[in-house]
Amino acid sequence: MKSAKEKRPAGQKQYYRRKKVCKFCVERIDSINYKDAKLLSQFIPERAKVMPRRISGVCSPHQRQLNDAIKKARNIALLPFTTE
Amino acid sequence: MRNYEIMFIVNPNVPEEEIDKINGQIENVITSGGGKVDKIEKMGKRRLAYEVQKQREGYYVLFVISANGDIVKECERRLRVMDAVIKYITVRTDEEARRLEKIHSYRQKRAARRSSTPRTTAGQSVEEAMQ
Repeated sequence: MKSAKEKRPAGQKQYYRRKKVCKFCVERIDSINYKDAKLLSQFIPERAKVMPRRISGVCSPHQRQLNDAIKKARNIALLPFTTE
Repeated sequence: MRNYEIMFIVNPNVPEEEIDKINGQIENVITSGGGKVDKIEKMGKRRLAYEVQKQREGYYVLFVISANGDIVKECERRLRVMDAVIKYITVRTDEEARRLEKIHSYRQKRAARRSSTPRTTAGQSVEEAMQ
């Protein structure tokens, strides 16, 4: 990354940020199932909201599937709507 | 005919035989309406993520069926009136299955194209290359 750092114009951030990758693309998880509470809970931060894409790095098609799955899982009490 | 998954939660305080009886009733509704039960899975007792009807635990049961919408409607009506069932959800799965199949066939096609000998699978061609 040394060369990239030199090329960077002034005013941009100097530190190197690791590129985020979509977990589902990398691990080739095709179907995001609502029954897999263990997998889904990785994308449920403390307050039980859906983790935003800018933090998790999930690609947009997978984020949509993930969102649907989380909502189904919440409906059948596998995941919480909110913390008590 | 479409494929559905019906998942419901039974009150954990009811005895095992009661759960079997509920399963039998639901199965009866499906088969008598012309549907097919592919799988009945008793997923067992689990902690609920939130309180439902004063319960913190529940006994999960999963039905995988292929049936018409009317049968599903009837099943849901039955589940709603049962006192022991505290929550249920129905999910349609055939569209998702079709999508998965498409991805799968695409991947196989790509794997076949990559290997120089088209009729062998990817695993075989690797073995040949090693020899």
